[in-house]
Amino acid sequence: MSAQYLFNGIVTGGILALPAVAFSLLWKLLRFPNFAVSAYLTVGAFAALTANRGLGWPLASAWLGALAVTALVAWLVDRVTFRPMRARRPFSLAIASIGVTFVLENVIRFVWGNDFRAYDVPVTRAMTWAGLRIGREQLDILGVAVALMLLAQIFLTRTRLGIAMRATADNPPLATVKGVPTERVIGLATLGGGALAGGAGVFLGLDTSIDPLLGAGLIISVFAAAILGGIGSAPGALAGALIVGIVEEVGTLVIPPTYKSAIGFFIILVVLLVRPTGLAGART
Amino acid sequence: MTALLEIEDLHAGYGDHEILRGVGLRVDEGEIVTIIGPNGAGKSTLLKTLAGLIRPTAGSISFRGRTLAGARPDAVIRLGLCYVPQEANVFGALSVEENLAMGGWVASGAREARVREVLELFPALAGRRRQRAGSLSGGERQMLALGMALMVEPALLLLDEPSAGLAPALQRLIFDRVREINARGIGIVLVEQNARESLRLCRRGYVLAMGRTQAEGPGTALLEDADIRRLYLGG
Ligand SMILES: Nc1ncnc2c1ncn2[C@@H]1O[C@H](COP(=O)(O)OP(=O)(O)O)[C@@H](O)[C@H]1O
Ligand SMILES: [Mg+2]
Repeated sequence: MSAQYLFNGIVTGGILALPAVAFSLLWKLLRFPNFAVSAYLTVGAFAALTANRGLGWPLASAWLGALAVTALVAWLVDRVTFRPMRARRPFSLAIASIGVTFVLENVIRFVWGNDFRAYDVPVTRAMTWAGLRIGREQLDILGVAVALMLLAQIFLTRTRLGIAMRATADNPPLATVKGVPTERVIGLATLGGGALAGGAGVFLGLDTSIDPLLGAGLIISVFAAAILGGIGSAPGALAGALIVGIVEEVGTLVIPPTYKSAIGFFIILVVLLVRPTGLAGART
Repeated sequence: MTALLEIEDLHAGYGDHEILRGVGLRVDEGEIVTIIGPNGAGKSTLLKTLAGLIRPTAGSISFRGRTLAGARPDAVIRLGLCYVPQEANVFGALSVEENLAMGGWVASGAREARVREVLELFPALAGRRRQRAGSLSGGERQMLALGMALMVEPALLLLDEPSAGLAPALQRLIFDRVREINARGIGIVLVEQNARESLRLCRRGYVLAMGRTQAEGPGTALLEDADIRRLYLGG
């Protein structure tokens, strides 16, 4: 019974890991928590919905389309809002990102309305294995999430551009002096972060349902995972996301599900009090 | 001698706050030039302006016959003018190897050969290729910062207090390496707190104070000048 909650928690954590890594790396790179990641999740979910329901694409293609659309939206938001504000204080940028979230959310509400929706996917029967109910979609989601995390990690540690991204996050003036095109690096990170968040939004819509507040319901957990993992650490954000996902699911065994989102707040509070640098901050 | 770098009547600062108020300086091909001066004189500001981080408000900078005032940092390093900042001059979160790769961002080809050269010059780094730069000692960090600058085959290095905060033995090692790098024909502008040691090292030196070039001459002559000793070298 509780093993089921653990498994569900791992799936939730896998979904959470994508926006958490994006949120964490963008925070380190741009020096402010970009709450618009919440809206990017919703944009991704609705982009896939449009392709899937409107254009009749199979969900896999719709998912790829959602990656592209969300990446583009994130890039445009950066161009229009954050780039002109680069030199501002983190607080102003964080507030601006909340403003962006409201705008995007309401555009979605205006176009698609407030209803709960679902993707048009063939019905599959859940497998039962060692007493666990395991959905086919849950396995797909977990597999793709793990693959995306691996790709992100390989990009960041093995490619010149990925190393330049970490260098820019670490010390922007030095990166500039060495000739690294920091604005292009930021643009690329924004595209990648948008794609990760958009892809996760589709997973979330598939795992639960789709509505304009889809991302808003997750952003506290994303924030908690990023802080828990240590800002700027991709493996940390992944670990943080798994822990948050599992604690949230298993937590519903002892507290009413209505208070599920309170768990995220509680984790943020505990981390900030006990270990503000997060799990990965241990080395410094 | 042809001038590698020639600066005339340079003015620059932060916002409305003018720090450099008429700096003149010249570096010939393959020469070491030392800049000394009290804290807050504008030495670091001068190097940042040369590196393209600060836009000059007046005056001229010419490097290898090209005008450089107002050029962006990536254009400056591509021309072979390489700046090593005073602080935070390595990427702490990156490994030694990754730092060298970033040092050579604008360089083309033969990266591995250049990494080998740097590690030969600084054997202390050779065993630490995978180590995070943030966990290196102060001396190793300065060596890495110098090594990063060498990844682009520079014509001129701008070094901002490379020996600051190091034990005397390490200071000597850094100065020895600077001399060795110079012997390869690379010009060097050396800003130093350790005025005695650095003035001995250079062919010519400048005294910068209150945003202006106050004195200029052979290093040994500056060292022996009574006024300069009293004002800038502590007697
Ligand atoms: N980023 C900055 N913004 C504003 N003023 C600065 C900045 N950096 C340095 N200054 C000021 O410029 C003056 C010269 O500083 P600096 O060039 O670092 O001197 P030095 O390197 O000779 O000690 C100092 O008065 C310092 O306070
Ligand atoms: Mg200085």
